[in-house]
Amino acid sequence: MSIVGLLPHLVNGLALGLLFALLALGFMLILGLMEQINLAHGSLFALGAYFAYAIATPRLPLPPDLLAIWAAVPLGWRFTAAMLLAPVLVAPFGVVLERMMRRTYGRDPLYGLLLTFGMAMVLEELIRTVWGTRDYMLPVPRGISGGFLMLDLIWSTYRFWAAGFAVVAMAIVWVVIERTRFGALVKAGAHDSEMVRALGHDLEKLRVWVFVLGTMMAALAGVILAPVWGIRPHMGVDAVVPSFLIIVLGGVGSFWGAVLGGILVGMVVGLSGAYASEWSMMSMYLLLIAVVTFRARGLFGKKSVLEA
Amino acid sequence: MQKGRPIPTLTPSMIAIWLAFATVPLWIEKVGLYQYLGVEILIFATYAMAYNLVLGHSGLPSFGHGAFFGLGAYAFGLAQQNIAPDLWLCLGVAVGAAAIGGALVAAFISHRRGIYYSLLTIAFGQVFWFIAIKSHAITGGEDGLLKIERLPVRLGFATLELRDNIALFYFVLAVFVVVTLLLWRLIHSPFGRILKAIKQNETRARFVGYDVWRYKAAVLVLSAGLSGLAGGLFAMAQSSAFPDVMSLHYSGYVVMMALIGGGLVTFWGPVLGAIVFLLARDVIGAFTTGWMLWFGLLFVILVMYKPEGLGGLFLRPLSARAR
Repeated sequence: MSIVGLLPHLVNGLALGLLFALLALGFMLILGLMEQINLAHGSLFALGAYFAYAIATPRLPLPPDLLAIWAAVPLGWRFTAAMLLAPVLVAPFGVVLERMMRRTYGRDPLYGLLLTFGMAMVLEELIRTVWGTRDYMLPVPRGISGGFLMLDLIWSTYRFWAAGFAVVAMAIVWVVIERTRFGALVKAGAHDSEMVRALGHDLEKLRVWVFVLGTMMAALAGVILAPVWGIRPHMGVDAVVPSFLIIVLGGVGSFWGAVLGGILVGMVVGLSGAYASEWSMMSMYLLLIAVVTFRARGLFGKKSVLEA
Repeated sequence: MQKGRPIPTLTPSMIAIWLAFATVPLWIEKVGLYQYLGVEILIFATYAMAYNLVLGHSGLPSFGHGAFFGLGAYAFGLAQQNIAPDLWLCLGVAVGAAAIGGALVAAFISHRRGIYYSLLTIAFGQVFWFIAIKSHAITGGEDGLLKIERLPVRLGFATLELRDNIALFYFVLAVFVVVTLLLWRLIHSPFGRILKAIKQNETRARFVGYDVWRYKAAVLVLSAGLSGLAGGLFAMAQSSAFPDVMSLHYSGYVVMMALIGGGLVTFWGPVLGAIVFLLARDVIGAFTTGWMLWFGLLFVILVMYKPEGLGGLFLRPLSARAR
């Protein structure tokens, strides 16, 4: 295959990579700033997708009249509402999860991992109970769906929109953690919690907000990725493994590490998809093993709880 | 490390547990359960004990053991269909294949510890799971590897058929006895003491002069091999092998079993955990389709309030001895 032949795979890989980076971002926030592994991250991601489906299609538990009015609203508005509301609706789950995890702070990080694994199982089963085991597809507004022709090739319009949404979401997170007082406090808290407490800041409250932010990012990723990957009960587990993989690859606690890790994974999946599409999802594990063998802390990693 | 009294090879509690299991086929149907459940419990108890060698005795939180269990299951089936239908040979291949898989993983991760160890074992577990699903020609993909026979036990002087679930139960019990005896000896051997030292403080163990990497690799290979043995038995019990035992879910389930029963504090914890887990599946499952919803919540509450597991509650007298 020539370079020109590879181009579409590279571009698609980049778009996919931005989506992967978005997926990993919420996981990174909670791991990097709170030193907690959130294996329920994927389940929050899945909840975001399911809530978006309920809002956009619309299948809400509302009185029929109200539902009819909402159904008459153009899909574009319903989709936008889903994107804004679903993360808000998932946020309380994150608050509850954080409350539960409090009991594991200061203990072996294994307990946090186990607790969130248990919650991932619970949420997955909850989804099965409420929505059943069938697959759903989140409809995309006509303006951004379908495909277009470029260089004699057909491209999926939504993928590019999704990549654009991902860039915007990542920019917001970057601003929040790098350019606000809140971000500075949280980072300081992760670095030296005693000092931050001594200066009179309520670290417990800050942690809740970090968790809420991480949860909302997970849910938002769920909404944006739902039209690409589809909605099914085990999408949570399918999503959590790549997200931790991206973080380990990029290095724990590094924003740009997460972004670069996501793009790398997207590229590798995209390129290997060109040659052996059946096996493309496996390439990311091989990439991880290769990188971590030579760079123990990932690309930009610092010393972290992972090495405790 | 207490000196003086040597650890006996057989302990009263060990014999009591074996005998208690031996009576199971006599009453299990009378309490409304079924013979196959006993087989399943014993297989998963063996698996959880093998797993706990890594988690409980060496402090290495592997989250990808399903891969080794699955490797054993597939190896058992493939050996039977392609080499020779001999029980001992097939079980040997199951152990060998899983141990080789374990060695491969160990080569990459034995310098890790803590959560990094968990994350990398998840990644390797996913690789094996993925291969199992995609290698349609060998494993049957998602349809599974079917038509695995329950091979007869050839003892030289006699041959026992295992088609009946009760016969299979007693065969699995015999394997369980051998495995638990082996593990008991192992963790009370000098090797086991070093594992315990690594669990308590890896850096110190290294400074004292032990080649920590080699011990961590060895224990993973051993644990993987025994998990593969359990996997081989499971393939035989189910008469088939499926990729889902290699999934992250199943890898997590065995961690749950080991932890629920108190594998971190007692020798027999994983056995209790396997019993509780599978009983809960059937009992809660009888009332609702989403049993994991309730069981998961109970598990989460346990992790929050009683992280040492049920073993810490019920097995007090035992734990003092097993510690």
